[in-house]
Amino acid sequence: MNERKYHIRIASEGRALVAIDDFRLAKSAITVLLGESGIGKSLISLAIAGLLDPDELDVQIDGKPYAAYLRSQEAIDIRRNGFFVFQEPSSHLNPLLTLRAQLREGSLAAAPDEEFILKKLWQGSVSSGVESILDVYPKPYRPSGGEKQRILATMAFKKMAASAAHAQESLFIFDEPTGNLDNRLRNEFLDLLVENFRNRMTTIVLITHDYSTISRFTNTYPTVSNHILYRELLLEHRKLHLRDFLPGEYISWLEKRNATTRTAQKTETVLRLQPHVKIFGRTLSISRDTEGRNPEPLLIRKGTVTYLKAPSGVGKTTIVKLMMGLIKPETMSMELGSAVYSEKTDRNVWAQHVWGRQMTMVFQHADEALNQNSKVKDVFNGLPIAGPLNEKTIVKSLSELFEEELVRGLLETKVKYLSGGQKQRLNLLRSLILRTDILILDEPLNGLDFASAAKVIAMIEVKLQSGIGVLVISHNEEVFDTLVAAEDIYYLHSSNPNRTLPDTSKR
Amino acid sequence: MATRTFTGNSWLYNLTSKKDLLWLTIWIAGLGVLWIWDALFLNAPAFVRLQTAFLNSLLTGLMVVLFSLTLGWFLGVSLNTLEHSKSKVGFAILSFVTDILRSIPQIIAVLIGYVVLTILLHKGIIRSSFVQMVWIAGTIAIAVFLEVADTIRQRIDYFRTLDFVDAMLCCGIKERRIMNVEILWKNSRSHMLHKLIAIFGISIFLQCSIDFIISVGLSTDVSLINFPMTLGNLLANVDSKQDILALSNLFTEPGYVSVIFTRHLQGLSVAFCIVFSMLCIYMIANGFVRRHKLA
Repeated sequence: MNERKYHIRIASEGRALVAIDDFRLAKSAITVLLGESGIGKSLISLAIAGLLDPDELDVQIDGKPYAAYLRSQEAIDIRRNGFFVFQEPSSHLNPLLTLRAQLREGSLAAAPDEEFILKKLWQGSVSSGVESILDVYPKPYRPSGGEKQRILATMAFKKMAASAAHAQESLFIFDEPTGNLDNRLRNEFLDLLVENFRNRMTTIVLITHDYSTISRFTNTYPTVSNHILYRELLLEHRKLHLRDFLPGEYISWLEKRNATTRTAQKTETVLRLQPHVKIFGRTLSISRDTEGRNPEPLLIRKGTVTYLKAPSGVGKTTIVKLMMGLIKPETMSMELGSAVYSEKTDRNVWAQHVWGRQMTMVFQHADEALNQNSKVKDVFNGLPIAGPLNEKTIVKSLSELFEEELVRGLLETKVKYLSGGQKQRLNLLRSLILRTDILILDEPLNGLDFASAAKVIAMIEVKLQSGIGVLVISHNEEVFDTLVAAEDIYYLHSSNPNRTLPDTSKR
Repeated sequence: MATRTFTGNSWLYNLTSKKDLLWLTIWIAGLGVLWIWDALFLNAPAFVRLQTAFLNSLLTGLMVVLFSLTLGWFLGVSLNTLEHSKSKVGFAILSFVTDILRSIPQIIAVLIGYVVLTILLHKGIIRSSFVQMVWIAGTIAIAVFLEVADTIRQRIDYFRTLDFVDAMLCCGIKERRIMNVEILWKNSRSHMLHKLIAIFGISIFLQCSIDFIISVGLSTDVSLINFPMTLGNLLANVDSKQDILALSNLFTEPGYVSVIFTRHLQGLSVAFCIVFSMLCIYMIANGFVRRHKLA
């Protein structure tokens, strides 16, 4: 396979951000770029796409200044014939043009298939349909993140069609394009991606943390598997390098986990949430059937994982925040141990009896959940831990998810200097160190690489053995389904699915 | 790598890129030059008065900063705690009292403090100069500390809009610790330091303004002479006023410039000291905002 090898150096104000000597990009292939969040995947991709600002960053590609690279025919072709789908879709969309106008701007105007792509990407969505948003001027809060991602994907696929004649010189980069999509829509997107690739054999980079992509490609498109490369960006001994990731590593791990049949254990129920909760003028209901015909109380039992599923925007994060007493509902009834908690329960009761004692929660965005100006060792200060919290205890805890040789050096490091994946690991450890009866995990595998994700799953299993009850919200269904018995899977439904709830994740 | 005129380690690069430190250096250097000049040309009693006035103003300003920080921190955190408590009565009462205080113009509040100080001096309750300065600083602090309280509330409110507070609460970390340590100490020191620099500038300005206002005398027995020597006090002194008025001679007799910086040095020095200090403090605060990206 024809490959282009890059030597890339990116620095800011004298501080090295990225330095890699062996970044390989296969031509006329799909490269699935894996690796933990914040390690430099986006920055490297932006550099190759010619989208970094040479006045803001010191960039060198193949030992030459970035300005020289930007003038090269390679970079000109990429910019002219390629497309970059940004991780944060708001930064791509022009707030002064309607989405419809942006879908038909410039070379996209003559590109075919718009209606087909939109229809495919909007199938089964909880939103009211694509037509209602096409004449909207994009704002930070509207359309939703998932809708913006699908609009950008549509643009990218249209661009692929428009520049089909230059497929060999073009480069299409999709940076976490399905981060806000549920599994069904993610699969629709992946189908379109493979279909477009088959037709044009263009060069595609798909940056993702979602390892389910591997099984989707392997199981659904075995015929193109020769053209799909999995590569993982790793930081080892403080050096960044790219390694080939064999899909079998993930798939065999998954198969091994699936081999263990999970059956519901009749252990003691530690939490029971009545199936109807009213909040923000909407009723959220919980059931064990996907259609929501038979609402049932949500149970969390000792030593088991309860899995709450719903498409994006229905209110999964809202309902767990409500269970934690962080949001006041209009009506709610929850039994926790021998106490009953409702909309009338005072905040002080949660503070005195629940937070960090009976229940704890890991928030999905480690960037916000952690104090960026704290040193790593200070993240554990103030936790209600019975025993002594000395450096030895902290090192022991950190060693569970961090490489041992790194731990000592990390103690004095400020959180803001960690990569996204390291922050997420720290975020998890802060809650896992507590001895609560219930642990709530909101997207716990966010931003983690495969090795860390496997370690986290192993840690959750250890916690389960100690009798803790776990409630999980996660898009990584493929992974978490291996931890849960079918009876412990619940589905969340909303009385008004066309209206999304306010973003209680505060992002 | 892109080349730069100055390297990152160059002290000149450091100083020019950090405007706050640059202006702090200019301030200290300017005052140093003035001190040397006055040591050479100003008469000894006036030189002592000037030094005393400067040090007293500086000390009072620092006390204002300390008192404002203490009061502002306490009020800001208290208002935030009460706002999120079950009963809103405490919050309503404290907000009302705060709003009353806010409605009083700063200069009036300080003037009231001076009137009370005059009464205390009259009755012989307060005698020591230091206690008088503490009183003055306390009075000014009461007039300005709400600005610190507002900054503290803004910082806490900002972090409450993120998952930051909720995530820590869920781990059982006390709300008191989250506010005081995690938000204010670890994440708001730059914001507070900026506010305190501004408070220091305001306190110098208020001292001078009030000293000038009361230079006509607060009672038959109490006048500026009874108060500690400060820059405003010295500027309001008749000798200093005459020195400054002497500047008008330059319009009719430009050659007078040759003697003005030796013959009329007390008034000019104190005026320079005030104006130059105010300018430098303003520039330090602005530079600090830019360097720490606080705007």
